[in-house]
Amino acid sequence: MRNISILVAILALAIAVPPFLGIAWQNALVNVLIASLFALAFNLLIGQAGLLSFGHAAYFGIGAFAALHLMIAIEDGLAFPTPLVPLAGAAAGLLVGIVAGYFATMRSGVYFALVTLAIAELFHSLAPHLQGLFGGESGVSSMRMPWQGIIFGSLIEVYYLTLGWVLTCGLALWAYTRTPFGRLTLALRDNEQRVQFLGYNAHAAKVIVFAVSAMASGVAGALLAISNETANYSLFATDVSAQVVLQTFVGGSTVFFGPVFGAAAFTLFAFLVSDLTRSWVFYQGLIFVLVMLYAPTGIGGVIAYHARHRRQLDWSRLAGPYALALVGGLLVAAGVVYLTETVAVLFGEGYAVRMRDAGGSLPRYDLFGVSWDPAGILTWLLPLILIGAGGAVLVRARRSIAGFWNRMGRTEALAAATPEPAGGTA
Amino acid sequence: MEFAIISALNGVTYGLLLFMVSAGLTLIFGMMGVLNFAHASFYMLGAYVAYAVSSIFGFWTGLVVAPIVVGLVGMAVERFLLPRVHAHGHAHELLLTFGLALIIEELIKLFFGDFPVDYQMPADLRFSAFSIFGSDYPFYRLFIGGVAVVMFAVLWLLLTRTRTGIVVRAAERLPAMAEALGHNIPMVFMFVFGTGAALAGLAGAVAGAFYPTNPNMGLELGVIVFVVVVVGGLGSLKGSLLASLLIGLFSSFAVGLDWSLAGLFGLVGLGDWARSLGGLMTLKLSSVSATIPFALMLIVLLVRPAGLMGERN
Repeated sequence: MRNISILVAILALAIAVPPFLGIAWQNALVNVLIASLFALAFNLLIGQAGLLSFGHAAYFGIGAFAALHLMIAIEDGLAFPTPLVPLAGAAAGLLVGIVAGYFATMRSGVYFALVTLAIAELFHSLAPHLQGLFGGESGVSSMRMPWQGIIFGSLIEVYYLTLGWVLTCGLALWAYTRTPFGRLTLALRDNEQRVQFLGYNAHAAKVIVFAVSAMASGVAGALLAISNETANYSLFATDVSAQVVLQTFVGGSTVFFGPVFGAAAFTLFAFLVSDLTRSWVFYQGLIFVLVMLYAPTGIGGVIAYHARHRRQLDWSRLAGPYALALVGGLLVAAGVVYLTETVAVLFGEGYAVRMRDAGGSLPRYDLFGVSWDPAGILTWLLPLILIGAGGAVLVRARRSIAGFWNRMGRTEALAAATPEPAGGTA
Repeated sequence: MEFAIISALNGVTYGLLLFMVSAGLTLIFGMMGVLNFAHASFYMLGAYVAYAVSSIFGFWTGLVVAPIVVGLVGMAVERFLLPRVHAHGHAHELLLTFGLALIIEELIKLFFGDFPVDYQMPADLRFSAFSIFGSDYPFYRLFIGGVAVVMFAVLWLLLTRTRTGIVVRAAERLPAMAEALGHNIPMVFMFVFGTGAALAGLAGAVAGAFYPTNPNMGLELGVIVFVVVVVGGLGSLKGSLLASLLIGLFSSFAVGLDWSLAGLFGLVGLGDWARSLGGLMTLKLSSVSATIPFALMLIVLLVRPAGLMGERN
């Protein structure tokens, strides 16, 4: 009940707020939605079936191109409702997914990752040469055609269309994981041999999961095509595959809706920060590695963990250390951002020119609204102090938080050791 | 004839360069089961470190310092980062190295900019080795190949003829047993990882002076190196040598050949029919030369995942 009310609240916000936002924000939200669906589709493979795909751009791109070809046909007079164009992406994703999945799931682990990588690279390297299908290097473009009085001229209409499709597909994927077959894919992840022993065809099951994932990725790609009205072979590039990996794992692959956090965070991050700094991909990589090292279950995993233990949580004792950790994290982040931006300025081309003009000496530079001396002690001491102090605070906070969770883990283990009354939690 | 000889020479030298990078990757995978996505970034890091050092201390110093620096970075990664995620399985190790690759690339962009840097070979290496069919063949290509050959010889001798090599091979085959016999296996792992990284760094330092040194070089080479280690057999040094030469020769020949599937059908009299289909049929080999390695990798993975020379699946 609680989950549903949260969901309804989010949905109400997603419907009510965007009309009051500017075009740029609406566009960013469309991208958030598309990235969310793509990450959910990707996570169906890694989170449910334990298959790590490094080439999901292939199915995303296929969906986009299929949608564009259908849109061109509609432009030429085909009577097909524009809002259903993503069906073309779904169909194309499903078809390619079945073929690619049949071969890819013959292998597992690292080899599976390499097969998917190779498939995506095949598309990426062939697409620029196939004029008819992928429009060569310039790609394929089309226009959104009006349907039943909806013109699809303004972005807000595209937003609602995207929202509808992403919600439908996201919930469908979630429902899929609750079916007996969805449970079977979980079993595949945990112990494939045993699934085979139980009489299931493990390979066929994996092909189906793969195809479903590719289909949903195709829908996401089609939605991107509708929003951009164009696509070219760069959709197949490794960074598209890489982005979805980053987003999914930062968001948390162990929780079904976890990837949405990552997709939303990174897409908004890119939207907000990419104007301010050139180094935002660096921050992205840094965040990803830190999450991998210190919170392998991602944002979603951490939230789910707290939600699961919400009855035992004593916030009066936990709030202090958490606030401390936040302060420490902010200090370290400030130090790292300061250092990165300083390096970006000092090693940038603009500064090299000014240095030449100044005759080899180091001129002062402006950053964060303050003028800094590159040879000054304070310039370099400040980030060191920030990172050092923040690090010390973090270590302290971490120790007390770990102590708290450990104590709780012990009482929990104790509870588990005592026999539960019949009819208790199974 | 001219085309064949020049292409063969270029192909062999490029193949040897590929081998320098893939040797470390395959060694690390064979030993620790970690597919190191950051390996090609080590190659790029080597080129940039060599560029930075050589602009002050000269080319040869750069060539020595780069592998040492990159090797130390590799050791640090193995020592401090990989163990943290080890408990979560190989997927997380792979993801970690993938994140590191991203960070290294972005750091390089931060310090050196998005555009190629002017990393050049020294003037006293810039001469032609011999003249063939009226054109000069650059000595530096042979130099790249020579470094790779020397490296392979040293590595092979080290692994097969010394006590250290025996321990390393034992640690690769049965780590627990080797550890029980009193060898410091974590240390061995760290040094193998460092050596692999250093080799990639050396390759970068040598090749960066000939090929363009830009922030894309890691990604570009990285995918090809994956193809090489897969085709050769993950974990097999000899296999990756063979596969490197194969891919090197292929990519240097393919750019000059305009064969197509339609031409192939033409041999049996179906040429016109195939040409009328268009699409894939009429693509020239030269234009899909970037595609063939991936197709090859796909076929190897599906038909014989152990690769040409690999023992294990």
